[in-house]
Amino acid sequence: MNSDTATLALSEVERPRWALRAAAVLLLSVGAGLLLLAVRQAGAGDGLFSALALLAPGWGGLVQAGLGLLRAAHRAPPVALALPWRWILAGAVGWCLGWALLAFSIPKAQAKDEAPSAAADSPLYPPLAAWRDFSPATFAAYAVAILGGEVVLVLLQTFLASGARGLGMAAPSAFVLSLLAAVLVAFAAGAFGAARARRLAAPEATIAVLYLGTPLPVLLTLLPNFPRAALWVGYRFREITYVAELIGRPEIAYWLTFTLLVVALALGILSGFVAGGSGTLDLSTGFELFVAARHVQVFRPRLLFGGLLVLLLGVVPPLLVLAVLRAADAAVERTRIRALGLKDPMLAAAAQRAWAEKAQTATAMMTALSVGGVGVGVMALIIVLSVMSGFEADLQTKILGTNAHVVVLKYTDNGAMPEYAEVVKKVEGLRGVIGVTPFIFGQVMIASEGNVDGTIIKGIDPASVGSVTDLPKNVLPGGNIDWLTQPNSIPVHRPARPRAATDADDEVVHHTPGGTEPVLPGILLGRELAASLRVLVGDRVTAVSPLGGGMGPTGPVPRSRAFRVAGIFYTGMYEYDSKFAYISLGEAQSFLDVKGATGVELKVADVDDARRISGAALQALDGYPYRTKDWGEMNRNLFSALRLEKLMMGIILTIIVIVAAGLIVATVTMLVLEKRKEISVLKALGVPDSGVVKIFLAEGLQIGLAGGLLGLLSGLAWCLFIEKVGLRMDPQVYYIHSLPVKVEPLQTALAVVIAVLVSYLASVFPALRAAQVEPVEGLKAE
Amino acid sequence: MALVEIRDVFKSYWLHGKRIDVLSGVSLDIERGELVSLVGASGAGKSTFLHVLGTLDAPVAGSLHFDGTSVFELSDAGLARFRNRTIGFVFQSHFLLPEFTALENVAMPALVQRVDRAAALAQARALLERVGLGARLDHRPGELSGGEAQRVALARALVLQPALLLADEPTGNLDPATGEGIHQLLREVNRDLGITMVVVTHNEVLARSMPRQLRLQAGKVLRA
Repeated sequence: MNSDTATLALSEVERPRWALRAAAVLLLSVGAGLLLLAVRQAGAGDGLFSALALLAPGWGGLVQAGLGLLRAAHRAPPVALALPWRWILAGAVGWCLGWALLAFSIPKAQAKDEAPSAAADSPLYPPLAAWRDFSPATFAAYAVAILGGEVVLVLLQTFLASGARGLGMAAPSAFVLSLLAAVLVAFAAGAFGAARARRLAAPEATIAVLYLGTPLPVLLTLLPNFPRAALWVGYRFREITYVAELIGRPEIAYWLTFTLLVVALALGILSGFVAGGSGTLDLSTGFELFVAARHVQVFRPRLLFGGLLVLLLGVVPPLLVLAVLRAADAAVERTRIRALGLKDPMLAAAAQRAWAEKAQTATAMMTALSVGGVGVGVMALIIVLSVMSGFEADLQTKILGTNAHVVVLKYTDNGAMPEYAEVVKKVEGLRGVIGVTPFIFGQVMIASEGNVDGTIIKGIDPASVGSVTDLPKNVLPGGNIDWLTQPNSIPVHRPARPRAATDADDEVVHHTPGGTEPVLPGILLGRELAASLRVLVGDRVTAVSPLGGGMGPTGPVPRSRAFRVAGIFYTGMYEYDSKFAYISLGEAQSFLDVKGATGVELKVADVDDARRISGAALQALDGYPYRTKDWGEMNRNLFSALRLEKLMMGIILTIIVIVAAGLIVATVTMLVLEKRKEISVLKALGVPDSGVVKIFLAEGLQIGLAGGLLGLLSGLAWCLFIEKVGLRMDPQVYYIHSLPVKVEPLQTALAVVIAVLVSYLASVFPALRAAQVEPVEGLKAE
Repeated sequence: MALVEIRDVFKSYWLHGKRIDVLSGVSLDIERGELVSLVGASGAGKSTFLHVLGTLDAPVAGSLHFDGTSVFELSDAGLARFRNRTIGFVFQSHFLLPEFTALENVAMPALVQRVDRAAALAQARALLERVGLGARLDHRPGELSGGEAQRVALARALVLQPALLLADEPTGNLDPATGEGIHQLLREVNRDLGITMVVVTHNEVLARSMPRQLRLQAGKVLRA
């Protein structure tokens, strides 16, 4: 019982434990060092260390490290795997021993040699006696949540998207549906587990996520590195890998999806705890919202209006106006108080007191700031994502305006399709096809008097091409696509300089003021191409096809033919405007020596359905020797790069929201500190822990909702401004006139939802701390 | 069977590794409808005893039976419901919630119990009129005098008609005349509503006016 002997006894126990711990740490470092050495000897050092450097920002680096090790191991010849087993073994033994020692050094309960207290035989306080650290049932529920969520996602996606044994839905919509189902499973099972346990059960959740949740994404990430395993199981995941590859970096997709499931599980656990923490399922929040609304008061018109002004006009002008108004207010009030004081000093004192009480508390300031922070994050997300969507939509219109949605080609030695008319008939009737036209594809050099340029030349049917591409609409005034087949109509504005008539076929001539000009077949040139060739409509250009003149004594002889510019087109895509030329199908057949056509182009009603229609067209043609490609396949790199870029931008901007969430953590923590006494009182009045959690969660949620609302309004206002007024851009540099904007409702809603969700999650920690406030603590007499 | 049966309740604090025994084996029965006063020196553990009795503080060992139920075996949520339905607290400070009006403060326990808002407010209004504050319904706690605030706190403790009212020096912060008013009110409540009451007080004169008088000394409850 003597306190001196007690401290002495304690220090005697402490000393060997610290020695043990030091030895354990030493062993751990030696083990780790040996393992690192082994890695170096295996030749994976560089890859690993660069990956470890990446580890700092997140767990993605860990995956990279594993991949680096694997690659190093696979580079060695498979017969003698050059892994330094001895070093690895020694390192592993050191590592394990170190942990074992650390575990050993954890102090066990010591039976002190003390006289039994007066309470010796009384019953222990029952909650303490009934304390449980691990509940297998809750663990099972969490396991169902994370593993079940993953399984549901994989199976449902395969079922919905698979053409052969499923519904054959478009892959992205199938993914959205199955992700929704998986998130629901994770949320519901998590909520059930927590409600049953009446606590958060963090150990169970951690074990479930780490041991049951991670294997699938790890497997999917590593699969491409094991060709044999990929052959064995890879095809079962083909619908999954296809969706993941749509954004270019499949592993990012796997881990993001996994993270989403974990967040759903966490939200489920929290909701289960909050809803079921009072013993019965308690979903009503009336009282908690009533209290929370009085605490934060974010939905004040003045605060919201002021926040909106700041987000729309920037920080400085509204603050200046506010400062001026405040100063004027204060001056008027001081004058009034002085006047009052001359009559009755008591009135002046009362007025002064009222004036002082109007000052805001620090917590109110913090609340306003965090609302603003969330607002800024949401606004930035909405604007940037909308502008990027605008760019994507702009690019898509331009690409789809020039290219067909689906192309039918044929495997032959010269790539020709003489029976194209039959192919057109067969695919014309397919559901979803709204336009069909044949085409010939070739590469030539085009020369004018001023310049030479290499181009892609396409033979088209001017009558039907308009049903597939926007070419007829893109021809600039002064030209006409119909002149491709009516060369007589091409106006000749300026006569060519006197030159020898080389083309013996030119029998028909134009009569111009300057003399006569031969009638030549028409050609359409892109705006940039025409500019670099320095030609206008009616001018003459010569196309040279390197193959097509037959065989001469020295090999293939180029064939050349003269064309007259029938029109100049402008698509808005520099690549197309500088590299494309169109002639009529008949001219192309004879000039490029192609029988029939190269292939057939289709236009479909719904561009997102192109993949399915492409398959249907191939079926209608009985497969080989025909093949089809949809626009996504033809431009896959471009669009997956765009999607990846947008995803990354979203992630980076979400960091702004997370910074705002830090503000929310601080604000709600301050609120909790400020309201300690009130929390104690509420608990004495019979508010359960889950009720206290609900109150402070509701406060974070209100801040998030107010901020999300501000961000939504100001973001939409900015987008509207950019769209209607426009931000001018130099077309010489960017090839577009103004910043394109496209507000996608789903993506905008997602930005707000993310902000609200992050605010909700940010208030979780302070809310749980609030629930831990001991009632007695705040009830001490002042 | 007594309303409250306390058996062998122990409670200790540790300060710099030294144990301070506050309650060392308190056993006590309180009958239905009793009005009990509890006196004792400062730091004798009167408040701690009241907190343990009101399940605000966990003892080290011991049992508490209320109307036959073993209260300490309830879960946290069960304890919260028990406090809400069966116990009313009045503290030395009024501990009203500053953001709410007197009316809302009184209605709060009913709102916690998910009683309909209008019904809860009506009940609270009736009680406030009964304690003589019918004209102060919409005032915030900061706008009330000490005696008024304590009356509001008493009304809040009574709004759900608790079986047991625990008062921790309810007049400690008030002048003698106002304090006597509060005590008068407590006796009325005990007489008219039949609510069992334990009142901790420093004031020996007031304590002696109660039917049953207890003294907390050396961790035990004795008859005064």
